[in-house]
Amino acid sequence: MIAVEAVNSSSTAAGDTQMDRVKQEQASGVADRSTKRPLDIRDHGDTGAYKTIGTPFVKDAKMTARGVNVFYGDKQAIFDVSLDIGRNEVIAMIGPSGCGKSTFLRTLNRMNDIIPGCSVKGDFSLDGDNIYGEDQDTVLLRARVGMVFQKPNPFPKSIYENVAYGPRIHGLAHNKAEMDEIVEDSLRRASLFTEVKDQLDKPGTGLSGGQQQRLCIARAIAVNPEVILMDEPCSALDPIATARIEELIDELKENYTIAIVTHSMQQAARVSQRTAYFHLGKLIEVGNTKQVFTMPRHELTENYITGRFG
Amino acid sequence: MNNMSNQHSSKTTAAIRASLKKRYRRERRFRWYGRLAVLTGFVFLFILLADIISKGTPAFTQHYIQVSVNLDAASLDLPSDPSREQLYSADYLGAIKSSLRAMFPEVTGRKEKRLLYRLVSVGAEYDLRDMVLENPELLGHTSEIWLRAHAEAGSYLKGQVGSDSLEADRKVKDLQIVWLDQLEAEGRTESRFNTTFFTQGDSREPEMAGIRVALYGSFFTLLVTFAIAFPIGVSAAVYLEEFAPRNRLTDLIEININNLAAVPSIVFGLLGLAVFINFFELPRSAPLVGGIVLSLMTLPTIIITSRASIQAVSPSIRQAALGVGASKLQTVLHHVLPVAMPGILTGSIIGMAQALGESAPLLMIGMVAFIMDVPHGVTDPATVLPVQIFLWADSPERGFTEKTSAAIMVLMGFLILMNALAVYLRKRFELK
Repeated sequence: MIAVEAVNSSSTAAGDTQMDRVKQEQASGVADRSTKRPLDIRDHGDTGAYKTIGTPFVKDAKMTARGVNVFYGDKQAIFDVSLDIGRNEVIAMIGPSGCGKSTFLRTLNRMNDIIPGCSVKGDFSLDGDNIYGEDQDTVLLRARVGMVFQKPNPFPKSIYENVAYGPRIHGLAHNKAEMDEIVEDSLRRASLFTEVKDQLDKPGTGLSGGQQQRLCIARAIAVNPEVILMDEPCSALDPIATARIEELIDELKENYTIAIVTHSMQQAARVSQRTAYFHLGKLIEVGNTKQVFTMPRHELTENYITGRFG
Repeated sequence: MNNMSNQHSSKTTAAIRASLKKRYRRERRFRWYGRLAVLTGFVFLFILLADIISKGTPAFTQHYIQVSVNLDAASLDLPSDPSREQLYSADYLGAIKSSLRAMFPEVTGRKEKRLLYRLVSVGAEYDLRDMVLENPELLGHTSEIWLRAHAEAGSYLKGQVGSDSLEADRKVKDLQIVWLDQLEAEGRTESRFNTTFFTQGDSREPEMAGIRVALYGSFFTLLVTFAIAFPIGVSAAVYLEEFAPRNRLTDLIEININNLAAVPSIVFGLLGLAVFINFFELPRSAPLVGGIVLSLMTLPTIIITSRASIQAVSPSIRQAALGVGASKLQTVLHHVLPVAMPGILTGSIIGMAQALGESAPLLMIGMVAFIMDVPHGVTDPATVLPVQIFLWADSPERGFTEKTSAAIMVLMGFLILMNALAVYLRKRFELK
């Protein structure tokens, strides 16, 4: 019942007409799941008291989350989710819109703190440090757990300044030469340096969408974080720019732990080692990416990855 | 079937075509309304400016009359070897009067003599005194000296009043006109740029009145206003927008700020009188108090516009800054404020322009006083441009009519300067 409410909050005009149609189908008794393809997410069941299927926990966890519940005011967005993020792995979080995957991602570096009325319950740790502990400083946490957002959001400053900003406020460079080195290194690791090396003083907002997103990644890795959270980093990019970002993620996983939220199942399959499937605020299934995409164990996961809804 | 659909489509086309004409007609009509509105605005603006400029321009010139002044000890009522004090208090007026009488020996009647003396300004004796104090060698000789013309004589020489009107309707009398024509024919009149207007304070005599006190007063007042209203306004906006919790109290504060913006300005003047002058005993007529009062009036404008421009900053920039580990204050200072600054400056300039043109609250705190001495700081008594305009507009002398318009021109110049500064600052912030 609660689950239905959660969906209602994100329902659109299109959703309403769909609901009407489903109602009609149910009334006339033609709603047959084996032949029809009911697109309405609410037809895919109230999971009620549930248990995550698969392997949410790993041995060598970089970050752990236990019993996470997130509320936006009275609305519950995440229900009792427990998940580990392994060291130097790429974990993909997939699921239909409004399933709470972005919300969960944002709990990991406390970006939800800035949303009024949002409350987070549960135990989180980063290398054993309690993320929501009283002595945990959000500034320090966000320096250790960097973030790349859905829409490229470079600062309206020069390319150099975009990358140098983080190291500067954290005092990571002691002189200009060191800063230059950090900036160049970060841009190189974000495979952007060769394209922008002659225009470092030009505004970052003047770059193309894909370049802007790589600039944002460079900005995130400039402060040398341990974990990088990526919230649908390619949703605003064309296929070529997306491919470059995916290559980049592949390279970055050597040194960083990456959690990526994506709407593209192909992307999840390509870049991640583990995949977590969220559904209406619940973590339905977690497992090895290959296994999740080839042999999903939960009906909902199967329905989602085979495109029954989403 | 095909025929029918053809028929149908031709019918639709006809219907659309018929309505098209009407739609385009409406569009044309609307465009003309727009042009008419803009044109009306421009016409009114043009009339206003033309009126002010045509009335105000003569105020920037001042006529002088050349008089052969006998500066010997006897006519100045001085001992043979005068000290500086004696020079200072010598009878320059008597010297001028006797010189004028010498130039027009036919004038004998008491009334006529009075008219004759009124050709030169009341201030001419002080001008003469300053000349003598500067060049003591003038003493003991008869020199040709340019004396400041009286405002009424000046208005005749400027062609503002003619001899064709009834004598009773004008201050400059027929006799004076005859003398002035004679002086003009002898080349003894001259029009100069009126430096007095920019170097002196107010005066009872139009030809002696200047705008300097008001100009300095306005400058000091705005300085105080800006120094108080800008930092407080921007900090309040930043706090309310970025840090304050959203609750009943902040809602109430927001409503009250919006209401404050609509409070009649004279109420702020009353508040200033009661609180700053009567309670805190700050000096009367001072730009300090004027500035404080105007900053109270300007604060709501600055807060509201600053909040709007802070709100308009994309949240993605805030997220980006927080995402790399900037603290909230760093996020605001390094990223939000620079982006919001052009908007904040625009709002502040609108507020300051309002303050510059405000006179009512300043009347309440005594900035309407008659002040001749140029203020040297924010605590010296002063008046401001709009109050000076109000005072001059209230004076019956013809000479003040042109001064009023001239003061309005100066006020507008001040405003244009402020706006230019704002545009410059905005451009600089936008480039960064």
